[in-house]
Amino acid sequence: MTFLSALLAAEPAHEAAKAAAHGAESHGPLADIVHLFGSFGVDKAHLIVQVVNFAILAFVLYKFAIKPALGQLEERIRQAEQLQKDRSAAEAQLASAQKTAEAQLVAASDQAAKILADARNSAKAAVEAARAEAQAAQTEVIAKAKAAIEADRVKMMNEVRGEVSRLVVETAAKVLEQNLDDAQRGRLNEAAVKQLAR
Amino acid sequence: MSAASVRAEAKRLLALSLEGGAVSSDRVGAVLSALAKSRPAHQLRPLLRAYLANIRRELARGEARIEHAGPLSASDADAIAAHFTKLLGRPVRPVARRNDALLAGFRVRVGDDVTDVSASLRLANLAKSLS
Repeated sequence: MTFLSALLAAEPAHEAAKAAAHGAESHGPLADIVHLFGSFGVDKAHLIVQVVNFAILAFVLYKFAIKPALGQLEERIRQAEQLQKDRSAAEAQLASAQKTAEAQLVAASDQAAKILADARNSAKAAVEAARAEAQAAQTEVIAKAKAAIEADRVKMMNEVRGEVSRLVVETAAKVLEQNLDDAQRGRLNEAAVKQLAR
Repeated sequence: MSAASVRAEAKRLLALSLEGGAVSSDRVGAVLSALAKSRPAHQLRPLLRAYLANIRRELARGEARIEHAGPLSASDADAIAAHFTKLLGRPVRPVARRNDALLAGFRVRVGDDVTDVSASLRLANLAKSLS
């Protein structure tokens, strides 16, 4: 930079003289433009130096600042894209896992509902079977009780009938024994002999 | 002697003891005398026991054992015996015995046959039919 500054400081008088000589020699639009720029203090040599200086600065900046920055930026972008991809994959995996979990949940719910229904049906069948069995047992007990009652009733009736018959016969026998005298018995014997002879 | 031969011998002796289809005491006496002479004592006992049973059975077949309640005239007893004589085809004589437990009527046993026309039997049948 020190060299460039010295060069720039030494150039203007020389360049101005040359421009004046050149201006005196050539005319036209380009010469007018150069002349115009020269009137603003921009001469050719100075401009070339400025351009070279800018190119060097641009090269240095590009080499040591912009290029690493761009590399880092690209690396960041790549990392961001990778992260985005990973995130998308994770989200897809999460969605798949959620879907799988929901499917498993639905399947488990269906299976639980089926098991519950089966259990209810089994319980209902068991209750019905127990009820039918109890009803059959009740009917059998009632039938047996009725049969036993009827048998007892018949037995009692027979006993009563037998007892009454026995009492009647005993009473009749006692009455006959007390009231029949020999004459009556003799007549009965004669009647029996006649009955036997017939 | 075996039991079968004893029964056969007793049956033969019973046939020898009958006269006109009835047991004759004379023939029984003759049979017993002959047995006493011809058989030893240890053989006589079973044979005599079987012969006695046969004689009793035969005598019972010739008797109408009449049990009666109250009085039974001789003519009625004879009528009963005549009825069984006619019915069985052999002579039957009446043997009467009073039994007031019959209440009225009589019961006649000839051998193993029993004819009951008593009031007690009627009452027993009545009780059986009612019970």
